[in-house]
Amino acid sequence: MEGAVEFDLTINGQCAQAHAGMTVVEAAWRNGVPRVRGVGCLEGVCGSCRILLRHDGEVTVALACQTFVQPGMEVVFLPPQSAPRHHYDIDEFEDSWSIQSRFHEIFPEAARCRHCHGCVVSCPKGIKVEEAIMLAATGRFRDAGEMFFECVMCELCDNACPEQIAPAHVGLFCRRITAHFHLRPPNLIHRLEELRQSKQGRGSHD
Amino acid sequence: MTRATQAISLAEARARYQPDAELAPLPAMIDPDTLLAAFHPDHLRGSVVKLVIGANAGDSCQHELADLLQAEAVIDEADLAGTPVTDCDVLVIGGGGAGCAAALAAAERGASVILATKLRLGDSNTVMAEGGIQAAIEPEDSLQRHVQDTLRGGHHAGDPALVAAMVEDGPDVIRWLIRQGMQFEQTAGGNLHTRKAGGLSTARIVHCRDYTGLEMMRVLREAVIQHRAIEVWEQSPAIELLSNERGQKCVGAVLSSLADGRLRIVRTRSVILATGGIGRLHLNGFPTSNHLGATGDGLVLAYRIGAKLRDLDSFQYHPTGLVYPPHLSGKLVTEGVRAAGALLLNADGQRFVDELAPRDVVSAAILREVRAGRGIRSPRLDKERYGVWLDTPRLERAQPGLLERQFPKLLGRTRGAGLDPRVDPLLVHPTLHYQNGGAVIDVDGATTVPGLYAVGEVSGGIHGRNRIMGNALLEIIGFGRRAGVAAISDRDRGPKKVTLEHVNRMRRALTLAGMPMMRKAPQVLPPYAGGVWGR
Repeated sequence: MEGAVEFDLTINGQCAQAHAGMTVVEAAWRNGVPRVRGVGCLEGVCGSCRILLRHDGEVTVALACQTFVQPGMEVVFLPPQSAPRHHYDIDEFEDSWSIQSRFHEIFPEAARCRHCHGCVVSCPKGIKVEEAIMLAATGRFRDAGEMFFECVMCELCDNACPEQIAPAHVGLFCRRITAHFHLRPPNLIHRLEELRQSKQGRGSHD
Repeated sequence: MTRATQAISLAEARARYQPDAELAPLPAMIDPDTLLAAFHPDHLRGSVVKLVIGANAGDSCQHELADLLQAEAVIDEADLAGTPVTDCDVLVIGGGGAGCAAALAAAERGASVILATKLRLGDSNTVMAEGGIQAAIEPEDSLQRHVQDTLRGGHHAGDPALVAAMVEDGPDVIRWLIRQGMQFEQTAGGNLHTRKAGGLSTARIVHCRDYTGLEMMRVLREAVIQHRAIEVWEQSPAIELLSNERGQKCVGAVLSSLADGRLRIVRTRSVILATGGIGRLHLNGFPTSNHLGATGDGLVLAYRIGAKLRDLDSFQYHPTGLVYPPHLSGKLVTEGVRAAGALLLNADGQRFVDELAPRDVVSAAILREVRAGRGIRSPRLDKERYGVWLDTPRLERAQPGLLERQFPKLLGRTRGAGLDPRVDPLLVHPTLHYQNGGAVIDVDGATTVPGLYAVGEVSGGIHGRNRIMGNALLEIIGFGRRAGVAAISDRDRGPKKVTLEHVNRMRRALTLAGMPMMRKAPQVLPPYAGGVWGR
């Protein structure tokens, strides 16, 4: 790799030099580019280093730490995610029978997907977002949540959605509700019961 | 760092590698203490110095950290004039798992909470944790065994009362996480699936495939931002704590803004430090698995206000950090892969250590192989790196489909670089992973300074001198919740006056000791990422 060929690209409007094999983050640091926001884990799981890319006439979004530089690429680091628009308290759900009706109250837009595909093309993890939202809107929360398994909450899909569905938050809702209401593991419950009894037993001897 | 003269190149080693090659039996193990003394980075000559000032004067400390602990503050009283003040019951500093658990516990009990974090909420080491979380829930397991494994793994340097508190919380921590909406891997019968790991006497690690930390963090982040009583301040690093007139109680903090550099004061009854570790100080020149924000800020702030710290000369170098591809340098391959049966092989294609020995022992053994010239050399533009093989293709042959089923994160990460662990062995080398010590705490997470709590990696005493897998995620939630509860039980009416008296005290000590006043801390961001104070 000695003497690898350097080439130019643009990051946040500034000209930068890099060589093949570098990520956009590495190139930004090396060139001292200002306004490089949200670099965190450097391994594609914190979902913070969101960028807009223009290359070969195509505009896409991606995570900077997982994107390799290419000659002539134009990169802009995107601002941080905005505050969520949908609010719920998982402890306020009466029981699991009411989840679907509550879901439509909390995420009314989810049933209005117009299948523009914006969420799917913007997902850096290749999640079939549109399909998963369809499942959620029909009450298939476990299956929908499973499709979001690799979601890193970069929320690029939320930015892309013209109906403001907030797909990443819908996906997380599906996963949370599934665990909250349906994950009841016998080995854990048994150990908790044993501990409760031994605590009670200890208490009576005091 | 490690040097090797006759190491073979990556290309040559790859050409030689055969997933079905016959392996000689594991050579007899030398005494672990001898191995550690000779090869573990904690024992490198010149890496440790004695602290001169502060609550730990006379104690051993890694020199990179000592430079920061004995540095000047970045602000003084003049900077506070006209700075806006916000009041709240509890200020949590740090937005990883420990900070979120503490904030939720305090808010659930009616407190008003501000959670300030350097980067984005959830941008932390928690989100990267892969392996899982320990909880003694299997029938053959017990709290006692969990305590024993933890103390033994930490070379009996841990505080038994803290370990017992953490272990006792285990099963209820899992229940609480499920209640927040976190999913875990289950067996066909619905039990939580458990794994064994290095230093564990039985299977005790519950997990969400190899995305345990991501699953935990995205759930806790959502729970925090959905909670009405918690206000989240992102891009807001803490640059100093505030003390009362006598400099003896913590009554708030000064936060900066990465966006515009402006300062804000938070005045409060209790401050909970949940700032994580020090990987980005790159101790002894090692790469790190840590998040970009892991610059030891919490230790610096705690030390300056007078908190006692411990085990500042003990750090964990995780055995299997990636060497190649270069953009993932130092990033982890979870111990779960070795727990599932993957072997470590040197350049001769032979085993050299029990892969499930404690992490410090395995790391020392890898460093020995590299130093003895039995490592594999990976070329980089800046410097050469060395490693040994983690034999994932052999694991795939023994248990087809396992890697895809259980380790999707590993496969996804290497895919971008054209590497497939099912076919290609992975080049690994120890990577700076965890700060074993930290602020001295009690079972409520209270430090030696009234009003100041420390939870998670910034605290010390639980893991002794070596942490075993799965105890970090347990500790952050267990102690996070404990501190969240304790922080609001304080009947104190809150501060009347906030000062930098402790900063003045430290400055006097630095002057009296004739120490240099040039360096300022906390660092906030590593210099290669632009730093903060040099701008």
